[in-house]
Amino acid sequence: MRIAVCLKYVPDPSTIEVDPLTGMIDIGRVLYMMNPADESALELALRLRPPDGTVTVFSVGPIEADRLLQDALAAGADAALRVWDDALGSLKPIVTTTLLAAALRVKALPDLVLCGGHSVDRGSGTVPALLAEHLDWPVVTDVTQFEIQSGRLRARRRLARGARAESEVTLPAILGLETGLVHLRQASLPNLMRVKYTPIPLYGLEELGLSPQDLHFPAMTLHEVMPPRPRARMMFTPDVGGSVQERVAQIMSAGVAGKAGKILESGTPEQQADAIIAFLCQRGFLEQPT
Amino acid sequence: MTTHPANQQFDVIVVGAGPAGSAAALLVARAGLKVLLLERGEYPGAKNVSGAVFYGSAILNELIPNWWEQAPVERPVCRRDIAFMSPTTAVALDFRCAGAGFATAPYNGFTVLRPKFDRWLAAQAEAAGAFVLTSAVVDDVLRENGRIVGVRVRREQGEIYGKVVIACDGVNSFLAKKAGLQREFHPHELSLGVKEVLGLDPAIIQDRFHLTDNDGIAYEYLGAITEDVHGGAFLYTNRDSLSLGVIGQVSSLVERRKRPYELLERFKAHPAVAPLVRGGKLREYSAHLIPESGWAMKPKLYTDGMLVAGDAAGFCLAAGLYLEGMNYAMQSGLAAAETAILACQKGNFSARTLSVYQKNLKQRHVSTDFRAYRHAPSFVNGPRLQNLYPEMVAQGMEQIFRVDGAPKRKILPLAYRMVRQSSIKPGQLLRDVYQVARAYLW
Ligand SMILES: Cc1cc2nc3c(=O)[nH]c(=O)nc-3n(C[C@H](O)[C@H](O)[C@H](O)COP(=O)(O)OP(=O)(O)OC[C@H]3O[C@@H](n4cnc5c(N)ncnc54)[C@H](O)[C@@H]3O)c2cc1C
Repeated sequence: MRIAVCLKYVPDPSTIEVDPLTGMIDIGRVLYMMNPADESALELALRLRPPDGTVTVFSVGPIEADRLLQDALAAGADAALRVWDDALGSLKPIVTTTLLAAALRVKALPDLVLCGGHSVDRGSGTVPALLAEHLDWPVVTDVTQFEIQSGRLRARRRLARGARAESEVTLPAILGLETGLVHLRQASLPNLMRVKYTPIPLYGLEELGLSPQDLHFPAMTLHEVMPPRPRARMMFTPDVGGSVQERVAQIMSAGVAGKAGKILESGTPEQQADAIIAFLCQRGFLEQPT
Repeated sequence: MTTHPANQQFDVIVVGAGPAGSAAALLVARAGLKVLLLERGEYPGAKNVSGAVFYGSAILNELIPNWWEQAPVERPVCRRDIAFMSPTTAVALDFRCAGAGFATAPYNGFTVLRPKFDRWLAAQAEAAGAFVLTSAVVDDVLRENGRIVGVRVRREQGEIYGKVVIACDGVNSFLAKKAGLQREFHPHELSLGVKEVLGLDPAIIQDRFHLTDNDGIAYEYLGAITEDVHGGAFLYTNRDSLSLGVIGQVSSLVERRKRPYELLERFKAHPAVAPLVRGGKLREYSAHLIPESGWAMKPKLYTDGMLVAGDAAGFCLAAGLYLEGMNYAMQSGLAAAETAILACQKGNFSARTLSVYQKNLKQRHVSTDFRAYRHAPSFVNGPRLQNLYPEMVAQGMEQIFRVDGAPKRKILPLAYRMVRQSSIKPGQLLRDVYQVARAYLW
């Protein structure tokens, strides 16, 4: 089995200091590290790798990210590849994933791609899903555990409010893993020394067969971030028409009715998305699109 | 440097990338030998602490001409102040030198911030060909037939071999102890330094300290500042920050039940200090031990296959007027490197061959300085000189300057009365005067 792991080079939050004189982050003092969720993804990949399997690590980042790929090699990854091009500006997740998808293809597509679910810097949590879109593969996010049996992968997911879910997909697939599941093993001294001057292959746009246009996406602007608006609570008033007993019973039960959910099973994905939007508008979570 | 040095033998292994280790590795690498520099920190200097004024400018200039043009230095030190303090007053000796060698190349000393400076210095060693490995904690020496043949790093397959090991692992050297060269220290031989870096606008620093351009000043404080704990304090100007700290003998901190950071707060609140630090914004806080007893703490400096340099060898001059460790660390590191290079040339790594180290230390004025000041630490770091006399000087000045209608006294009778009122016996005072003179004058 061939496994790919996507590693991100991120600032270590404990080294971020705001210069009290200028109010700016003191860039010179920031140290970088492997994104923690990616680190546990790498460790899981190394544990999963069968004797005839390989683990290849990928990173989109500047030359400094070589150190992180070297650390991955020291820990036991078989090969590493860095993607960078001086023409790249700020890396939106959609750009990063376009590059990663191209890099995965260059190396011949693996059977499984592991990503950290969230990065400590940007933390959009969209990379696994966007990558899945590029490759047209299934993706499971918020994964805490998984096992593979004859080409099928069963994953446990941690959802909001303590909910758990289990999903099953066929390989090849992409997983977005939770942070802190396992710690990356410590490299042995010979390995640490061996990788110190190991050159990391670099792939630019040309090597990936991409042109700058391929990285041009319609601009998306974030206008505002709002906390979810609490829904207005409906005061319960018993039905005046009923008998006294009925009204008392209604008051005693405070009008509680079970939460009504609805599962959309029919229609195209577009129709289903429209139905969800309509539902959210109706309940006041979204404004009516104009 | 694209070779794979794993499993290979190194000529020299240097442990610790402080000023001693990086200087040693640099020199060995330049001699064309294979040298490995091991550092436990995430990067060299990550946790290293000094005041810091680096007084080794001339030394480093021999290795890297005009080093200050490329190194992360803060300000050249062109003024030095020594202040004697009582709880409310201070008397200062102010030395200014705009002249050659202080305000001009090669300069006398620079304020530096250790994490940046150490990182730069290690990078110089790396550029010269040293193999620098960080996140590598050395936890033992390797022996064969009684001689040291390498070290063990706290990692899987952590054994690594070298013909000579140079221990530059700082105060309380783990390696020197493992090699049986150093004993455990007594708390009275060690001081604890606590230090803060306060951010301050460069324009305010220039105004407040009357500095021209980029010049810097170094203050040392003696007297009541540490209350009854034996020690002193310092304040140095960086480019856009101040470094200040308090140093207290470990044994007296323990005896007097004083916490170092309380002393630091008191120091900052002293009327002579508060206006200097006003408006400073805390950037970092650190603490570190200092070997204070000089000559008396010196370990055996070499054994079969190993040399000890820098703080690990106790080469830190912390004696009242002086707080110099980085320059001696560098000098002793260089002397050790020279010794190791010679041993490699001879192909002989016995203690006998390595004993040249002593001669090299003398040539680099390390052992001569420490011999010369061997009487200073035990006495200077004692209570009378660090606390009592400076405080008396400060109080005496107050009485000289005070105009309150009482008859004016001449200085000698005043001094006589102050001595009488204190706990010091006249005989003791004479002996102390002699000791000061012996410590500093001849
Ligand atoms: C508060 C304070 C103020 C000072 N002010 C000044 C000053 O103004 N001017 C001055 O010249 N000196 C000053 N000193 C003294 C100076 O800091 C030291 O003398 C100097 O740092 C000694 O250098 P070194 O290279 O021997 O050791 P260090 O600088 O201590 O370096 C030792 C290195 O070894 C590494 N190490 C330790 N153990 C291991 C291990 N087991 N494995 C791997 N690596 C290891 C450490 O991480 C470190 O990088 C001050 C000290 C203090 C505490």
